[in-house]
Amino acid sequence: MVLDLSINKYSDVTYEEKERLFEEAKADDRWEHILYGCYECGICVAACPSARFYDFSPRLIAQAVAREDVDLVYTLMNDSIWDCSQCFSCDRCPRQNSPGQIITVLREVAVRNGLQTAKQALEGYGRIIYKIMSTGSQVSPDMLQPDAFPDWGKHVYEIAENLDIWRRALPPETLHTTETSWKVDDKTIIELYLIWHMTGVMDLIEGIDEGLFMILVDVMEERLEEAGYDVTFD
Amino acid sequence: MANQNVLIIGGGVAGIEAAKGIADLGYKAILVEKRDRLGGNPDEQQYSVLTPDRRDASEALSDMMAPILDNENVDLMYNTIVTGASGSVGNFKVKAVSMGKEVEIEAGAVIVATGFSHFDPGRETQKYGYYEHDDVLTLTDAEKLLKEHKFVRPSNGEVPKRICFIQCVGSRDRQIGNEYCSKVCCGISSQQAIEVREQVPDCKVYIFYIDMRMYGYWENEIYWPAQEEFKVNYIKGIATEIVKKGDRLLVKGEDTTLRRPMEVEMDMVILAVGMEPSEGTKKMAEYFGLKQNKYNFIETIGGPLDTVSTTVPGVYAAGACTGPADLEDTVSAAGLAAMKALGSIRRNGNA
Repeated sequence: MVLDLSINKYSDVTYEEKERLFEEAKADDRWEHILYGCYECGICVAACPSARFYDFSPRLIAQAVAREDVDLVYTLMNDSIWDCSQCFSCDRCPRQNSPGQIITVLREVAVRNGLQTAKQALEGYGRIIYKIMSTGSQVSPDMLQPDAFPDWGKHVYEIAENLDIWRRALPPETLHTTETSWKVDDKTIIELYLIWHMTGVMDLIEGIDEGLFMILVDVMEERLEEAGYDVTFD
Repeated sequence: MANQNVLIIGGGVAGIEAAKGIADLGYKAILVEKRDRLGGNPDEQQYSVLTPDRRDASEALSDMMAPILDNENVDLMYNTIVTGASGSVGNFKVKAVSMGKEVEIEAGAVIVATGFSHFDPGRETQKYGYYEHDDVLTLTDAEKLLKEHKFVRPSNGEVPKRICFIQCVGSRDRQIGNEYCSKVCCGISSQQAIEVREQVPDCKVYIFYIDMRMYGYWENEIYWPAQEEFKVNYIKGIATEIVKKGDRLLVKGEDTTLRRPMEVEMDMVILAVGMEPSEGTKKMAEYFGLKQNKYNFIETIGGPLDTVSTTVPGVYAAGACTGPADLEDTVSAAGLAAMKALGSIRRNGNA
């Protein structure tokens, strides 16, 4: 995608709404430590791996927020911040700005406010988010689908067929699992669900992906009820 | 025997500092000033604060001139204009009109401290409409408004909501003939921008520039605070013209680093005018036969290692009569000129 800065692409969104989102970013505790002033020198772009492959510029991000250009910040929040790989190579800024961390904050604002592009950017991660939030572990062995990984060679079929046995061959008992990466005990999972609930993570998920939210609520409410907690997520 | 007195021409910052130096060393300084008071441009143009320490200009100048006001080693001659000169080191005879009367002043050495004048942006850069639009100002015009704490639009007396500075007006411009950088305007614009943000916090302030040049501590004392604390917006790109739009000014330029054309409405535009040699500087060069550079500033002959000696032995030049200078440069050069002037008298007096 090519960024055309000559037009105010999101002129349908009110200035007040854009300003509200920007103010939310500026109110973040990290803000004063990650944005000072921008020389527009381009050292961040020179160091940025994403900038080599996309029409993406960490300098633009720093410039837009330093200039408090509310319209431009909104455009970048929609069309640019998801192109960052969050490697923080840009942290070499002589003014000690961190375009990467500015992007972190802007992404959080985008997610909290359910911006359309945040939904799109996170769409492909639904399965992983579900796994992490429901089990506390990330990629599990049973996610290994042989057809999806031809580059792993023909043995991948054998391994997939007898996954359970292969896992039992691993020395640590906690890894004798197929549905999760490791054994997650009841106490951990209950605590995890309570954390998701109490810290507002579930609200974020609801704003971004309602389907995923509903599945997670089913799983969590049932498990929490069994453990004796009376928790509702609405 | 050489005349032991030093004539200082010009009662601005350079002249005051030179006179103090001469007097402190136990010699007589004769300070001639065309106006009826000391202080030069900062006083005449009603500067608000000094750059870079942001001290109140009137107060700082009063403190600076106090030691020479009642000093038996300093003869102050106000309302005095030099009209001619003859003689050589150890024995200059300088003609002047003082309080309406013709006089002749004798001195062993001379320090020219006649300074600069601000570039008149209406003279050659009509593109900014300085004579045309009431709300197009120069840095000096803005100083007066800031000093009075009445930073309002001259056209209607309203408090501005959005203003900009345009840098390098009359400087770095081959078309005008002033190819040099005037050295102080970046810092002064930035400092005025800070003052505007302090006095009118709701006013957005933009600075359109070619390069921002704030060397040494001006970087962290002016530039960074302006940008980081006071949220002054620096945009690399110079306006090409200013036209009237309704009761505001439409500034046209390019936002170069964002690669987009820029047409923004402003309530006031402040032109960062540079320095040119003052009339007095040009006249002194003529009367004393001092070589001038192509811009008519007085040429100093020692390169970077001697910033005050002119082509005429016994005549020294200090401050902005030799080229764009900030206060630090000016005061340093004035002290050096005082020392060298006395040195020339002592060397020649014994010959």
